[in-house]
Amino acid sequence: MAERSFREEVKKLRAGDGDVFKGEGILAITKALLQSGVSYVGGYQGSPISHLMDVLNDAQDILGELGVHFEANGSEATAAAMLSASINYPLRGAVTWKSTVGTNVASDALSNLASSGVTGGAMVIVGEDYGEGSSIMQERSYAFAMKAQMWLLDPRPNLPSIVDMVEKGFELSEASSTPIFYMMRIRGCHVTGEFVARDNVAPAHHNQAPVTPNREPEKIILPPFVYEQEREKIGERLPAAIHFVEEHALNEVFPGRYDSVGIITCGGSYNTVIRALQRQGLADVYGDTDIPIYCLNVAYPLIPNELVRFCAGKEQVLVLEEGQPEYIEQGIQTVLRRQDVQTRVYGKDIMPMAGEYTGQVMLEGITRFLGAASRTAIPMKLPLEAVLATETPVSDEDIARLMTELPPRPAGLCTGCPERPLFSAIKQLQEEMGPFHISSDIGCHSFATAAPFNLGNTIMGYGLSLASSSGMRHALPHKAISIMGDGGFWHNGLTSGVTSAVFNEHDGLLIVIDNGYSAATGGQDIPSLVEPNLIATTLDTDQPKRDSWQTIEDACRGAGVKWIRTVSTYNIAAMKETLRTALTSDAPGLKVVVAEGECMLNRQRRVKPMIRQAVAEGRRVKRARFYIDPETCTGDHGCIRLSGCPSLTIRDNPDPLRSDPVSYVDNSCVGCGVCGTNAHSAVLCPSFSRIDLIDNPSPWDRLMNSARVRVREWLRARDQKHRLQRQF
Amino acid sequence: MVTRTRPEAQIAATILMSRDDQTINMVIAALGGEGGGVLTNWLIAVAEQSGWWCQSTSLAGVAQRTGATIYYLEFMPREGDQRPPVMSLFPAQGDIDIAVASEIAEAGRMISRGFISPDKSTLITSDHRVFGITEKSATGDGTVDRDLILEMGGRYAKAFIHFDMSEIVQRHGTVISAALLGAIAGSGALPFAPDCFRDLISEGAAARANLAAFDESFQRAESGGVGAYEPAAQAPFVLPAATTPVGERWLPRLADLPHPLQEMAYHSVNRLIDYQDEAYAEQWLACLASLIDRDQDRTDYALSYEAGRHLALWMAYEDIPRVAQLKVRPTREDQIRSEVKADAAQPMTVAEFFHPRVEEIAALLPRRLGSALLRSNTARRALGRVLGPRTLRTDRISMQLVFRGLSGLRRFRRSTLGYAHEHQMIERWFEGVLTADEHAQAMAIAALGGMVKGYGDTRYRTTSRLVVILDYLDTAPDVNAEKIAELHSAAMTPDAPFGSVEGVVAAAPAV
Repeated sequence: MAERSFREEVKKLRAGDGDVFKGEGILAITKALLQSGVSYVGGYQGSPISHLMDVLNDAQDILGELGVHFEANGSEATAAAMLSASINYPLRGAVTWKSTVGTNVASDALSNLASSGVTGGAMVIVGEDYGEGSSIMQERSYAFAMKAQMWLLDPRPNLPSIVDMVEKGFELSEASSTPIFYMMRIRGCHVTGEFVARDNVAPAHHNQAPVTPNREPEKIILPPFVYEQEREKIGERLPAAIHFVEEHALNEVFPGRYDSVGIITCGGSYNTVIRALQRQGLADVYGDTDIPIYCLNVAYPLIPNELVRFCAGKEQVLVLEEGQPEYIEQGIQTVLRRQDVQTRVYGKDIMPMAGEYTGQVMLEGITRFLGAASRTAIPMKLPLEAVLATETPVSDEDIARLMTELPPRPAGLCTGCPERPLFSAIKQLQEEMGPFHISSDIGCHSFATAAPFNLGNTIMGYGLSLASSSGMRHALPHKAISIMGDGGFWHNGLTSGVTSAVFNEHDGLLIVIDNGYSAATGGQDIPSLVEPNLIATTLDTDQPKRDSWQTIEDACRGAGVKWIRTVSTYNIAAMKETLRTALTSDAPGLKVVVAEGECMLNRQRRVKPMIRQAVAEGRRVKRARFYIDPETCTGDHGCIRLSGCPSLTIRDNPDPLRSDPVSYVDNSCVGCGVCGTNAHSAVLCPSFSRIDLIDNPSPWDRLMNSARVRVREWLRARDQKHRLQRQF
Repeated sequence: MVTRTRPEAQIAATILMSRDDQTINMVIAALGGEGGGVLTNWLIAVAEQSGWWCQSTSLAGVAQRTGATIYYLEFMPREGDQRPPVMSLFPAQGDIDIAVASEIAEAGRMISRGFISPDKSTLITSDHRVFGITEKSATGDGTVDRDLILEMGGRYAKAFIHFDMSEIVQRHGTVISAALLGAIAGSGALPFAPDCFRDLISEGAAARANLAAFDESFQRAESGGVGAYEPAAQAPFVLPAATTPVGERWLPRLADLPHPLQEMAYHSVNRLIDYQDEAYAEQWLACLASLIDRDQDRTDYALSYEAGRHLALWMAYEDIPRVAQLKVRPTREDQIRSEVKADAAQPMTVAEFFHPRVEEIAALLPRRLGSALLRSNTARRALGRVLGPRTLRTDRISMQLVFRGLSGLRRFRRSTLGYAHEHQMIERWFEGVLTADEHAQAMAIAALGGMVKGYGDTRYRTTSRLVVILDYLDTAPDVNAEKIAELHSAAMTPDAPFGSVEGVVAAAPAV
């Protein structure tokens, strides 16, 4: 069950000829896939395309009706391998993942697919996670497209273009027997808009209409065929692609009155270019421009004839491509020089090599470029100085003050997160045993590398923490410690990590955080399920239904692990003990601790309606939350340094003599119990209380309550009288 | 390659006519889980119903997990069969008409990113604080200066609308996105009819609560909330009239004190009588007198104020009787019930988390007995076995009586080991304040009193570090105020090494 449900939105996927479809880019792509008659879809979640997987997941009825096969693949490699269905058969297929990380994982299958070539259209929708809002190291997918000879589409970020380019992309793929990258930038994935829909097309082949098995040995990636495939890539597929792109006008030229200059931009940046020109008075809001623009909706391959035609007679052109190296600029230089076109090509010499082309970057770059345009002086609303000034109106002094005053907001663990108590336990253990070197992994638990836990030294990739600890385990003062999420475990960790570690007699500790979902990417389901965990104070419910259940523990045993313990993360004392044992035990071989606790976001989504219903039905429900005594809290905030829970915050000290803020639990507390357990296991302070509220109390509850209240009232009255005498 | 040709006439026309048409650009900064997405969808719907184009995009990132998140929208009127406009996906400096923030520090972030242009930007923000982890985890007060950001908002925004929307939505039991929509509608920054917003928010779940929050927020935004920020003025403190014999004995004496000290003294004396007895308060007042002597030639009595305040807090140190006394405070149950929103009829249980250690027990015993206990390992171990983590239900009558018993032990306090230990440290510190050569030094040493806080290990860390500094000051009496402050801030960093003063000085940040 994913974080966000698209059950309502997916109904739009039924839209037919002429209907106006309104929605997010992701949803539009899904609709375009159906309009293109795909036969199978798959992928692996990860921002910015997590929602594409969620949409497909929620759209399974519609997919089923059309006979489209969907798989939530185990990894990007699995997804890429799935595309082999298009090698021998006219089956159109699409898979999606976060790039470049996903592309790296998939690269083996992708290279082979690209070498074999395809019969049916094969498309990889990559969420290019580059620039502000990205969560990974910064690289481009472009390099892979070039080295494997896959074509890379980068459409203008408006829904009609996005949809049109998906459909054209499949035709291009088939016309050139080549798999395609369809690149969506972060903001493009989430852009909203509208387009006129067409009917969905059912695939020619599905379980009712199977294909006839067909063997084409020359498409297998073994010698001697691989040499022929390499020749074919350049000798036949590339020319076919170039011909198709040119013939079907996938790239666009927007003419402008100042034809001695021109701008060559990737489709994804087109809107930003128009805005920059508009702010300079050189374009209007509808895209009519005074500066000719050549828009590359197909970023790879380049189309030599189009380039020459566009540049011929121009003195200068500006090439706009985000990131480095400047592949496109180099390609354009080569084309123009070979054809002896003497147009001066500006690019990374005036644009930044690294980072996004934001509105400000684009405005500065274009202003510089047009300022350098020689013959005709082009009038601009804003001179360069004015443009540079718009960077910020804030005085240096104020900026400095803001820099010191503004609190950073690193992503952290959610309220009640089951991973928090685990890291509290590790932090407490570290205080006893000395500093740890920890090999961390991808997932929510990555946030433990930041404040307040500051645990973790390296992150090598999804499911690779254990593998990455193997090189230094002989050089550590303590047994190597690796932390991995259940998502990473199933994605890669079991094979690359556990199996290899057992084989090499790795005697370190692997902590697998088993929260039941691929939580960081939006709570998608994974093979293992979480045991109904003991958050004693929240209403407990039966575990989510799933007929087949692959447990992490069985998988590890199967791989030959002998030492396995499963501990509820909320039991900090037990966790501390288990970890201490694992780190000090003489038992040979890998020690695996499965740290169990259901993702609190998903849990709340599951439990909240049930609590509401239970209360409505008049059933007895016990709700818990924590409370801090403002009188006994001295404002040291040791509790926060051990926890960092969003609901554990601070507020002004009510004590007129004290100035430091007191710790405070706000009403978002879900009563997970970690505050209390920390107060105990770390000997914090006597300020924490757990308040249990009972809805629909039983007669017994009422009796006890009223009795207690009455006696307390009586005692209080006495005290009050006594106290008043001692007051002024 | 397709060439999108247009007749020259049309080119001319568009240049004349629509070259200056512009989108209305709006950036929204929210925190994860605050419903920034919901707010965006509401705005899109309003634009649609008003016959406008609206394009939105977002950087969700890992927003759900407490991070900051950005939404960006552009609006443009639909004109007949006019082609759809080309809208940007990036908020750009100098190009923002409306900036919305769900929290004041995020508004500050937008100012620092250059999104607020004095000539065009309307800045709409809730001015409550949601503290960042660095602010929360400081050992003292690590919170940022909210007033500074408000003041800058007033200076850099063309129009500045700010009020506490968090308070409003909490009162109406809904989320901040409803109040933000109300503020946006009320500000009139978007050319859409207020009813269009209202109708929209009157639908769906929690409609009533949303509408209430929307309307209140709308009023506030419409009736200004605009412009520069003036901090609210503090009402001066006035000593109350006596209602008891105790009051008649003390209030006149407090009235004789220099005015800057009266409020502090009033609270301190109250606290110490409640903590121990009037004699204990006398003890404190005597010390204050000697501080006042030192302060004679100063009108602000800053030293007397700081040292007196810390002295009172330290004298009322939290031992077991004190904690017990506070836990059965007559007012406490009402406090809790109002905090967790439970009326008196609703059954409520209160479980306190205690972890008494041998040290706390020893502190309760007569001096000799206590130190004997701490010396004897067998006794420690024996006692240690019965102590340890305890969860006690103070709503139960039995526990109420136990706690009253414990709190009653305060009458023996003066003879306990804990009292001796605390007062020995108090005297050293207070001596240091009085005997310091310069005022600045005395102030710095007085401030050291603020280090004393916490329980168990924390308490041990803070007090022992204070002692380390006092020892150092004995050896080097001419140390200046800056160095003392340096040591102070170093001592406030829990993880920093603090063995010897050399270590401290090394670890201390340069001033």
